[in-house]
Amino acid sequence: MYDNFDFGQILPIIAPILTIQLVLVIIALVMCIKAEQTRGPKWMWVLIILFVNLIGPITFFIFGRRNER
Amino acid sequence: MTSSFTRLLVMVQKELLELVRSLKLLWVPLVFVLLGVMQPASMYYMPLILEKAGNITEGAVIEIPQPLGSEVLAQTLQQFGTLGLLVLVLVGMSSVSGERNSGAASLILVKPIAVFSFTASKWTALLLLAWGSLSAGYLASWYYTGLLFGDVQASKVLGSLLVFGLWLSFAMTLTLFFSTLLRSSAAAAFSTLGTAAALSLLAGLLPKKLGWLPGSLSSFAYQTAVSDIANVSLFGWALACTFTLMAAALTGASWLLRRSSAID
Repeated sequence: MYDNFDFGQILPIIAPILTIQLVLVIIALVMCIKAEQTRGPKWMWVLIILFVNLIGPITFFIFGRRNER
Repeated sequence: MTSSFTRLLVMVQKELLELVRSLKLLWVPLVFVLLGVMQPASMYYMPLILEKAGNITEGAVIEIPQPLGSEVLAQTLQQFGTLGLLVLVLVGMSSVSGERNSGAASLILVKPIAVFSFTASKWTALLLLAWGSLSAGYLASWYYTGLLFGDVQASKVLGSLLVFGLWLSFAMTLTLFFSTLLRSSAAAAFSTLGTAAALSLLAGLLPKKLGWLPGSLSSFAYQTAVSDIANVSLFGWALACTFTLMAAALTGASWLLRRSSAID
């Protein structure tokens, strides 16, 4: 069934998943860089956002930002 | 009467603006869409993944029956019930306690605003976030499931969406209540997740005796997706119990806030 494994066949199904992950990473990066203060060093958050797949941006959104105001 | 309603509307608008500005209205639905899409996709490619990555001896044949579309949707709901619920509770955990700790709540509450409209506006925002994210993710999952596994009736999808949304709404109301009761956001999140898990566990262990608990709503949602609800009267009791508890939690939260808004 999967003998002739074809990457082009998978791509239309995987592409939206990758796109959404990319969008999340970009939003988190922009917010992290624009934030005046983050909880913990900023470079650490950038690394987490970039390299921890999916969980990285989410943890930044939830825990990374200090309540400014 | 009208003026208090207008006040409530203004407060709700403020909360919605906050949701948009903090980009929560963008990233939480995106996470749900991702969860909803990954479930059908990973189930579809499971045989391939096992074949390429699994440590299986040559020639071993694994037959994994192709699941029905409705079963895939029920499993998506399970994902929403664990990871999705976790994200939603963590987002909502500081909705009241955060404002109280930063002093914003006492700033707002000195103004002639009924405490109830403060609580109600928070509640509306949380519910909007939950329902929006759930609908976006579930519809995405439905589309993918239709593409990969076969069509599922729209009525089943809508029914299970409504039932499951009610479960998430209940969890959000609990979050709001604990966020008012406890000073620390982490404790609020922990208590909410603990209560939700305990309710689900009780309703799952003794479905006949304790099926009227709100915790059984998620399994009623799976039933709606796959076939039909087996025990309709129990479902009615679960609905009634959930609505009562939600009303009680909201009232309790306003009452707690009125009593102790001056603490900070």
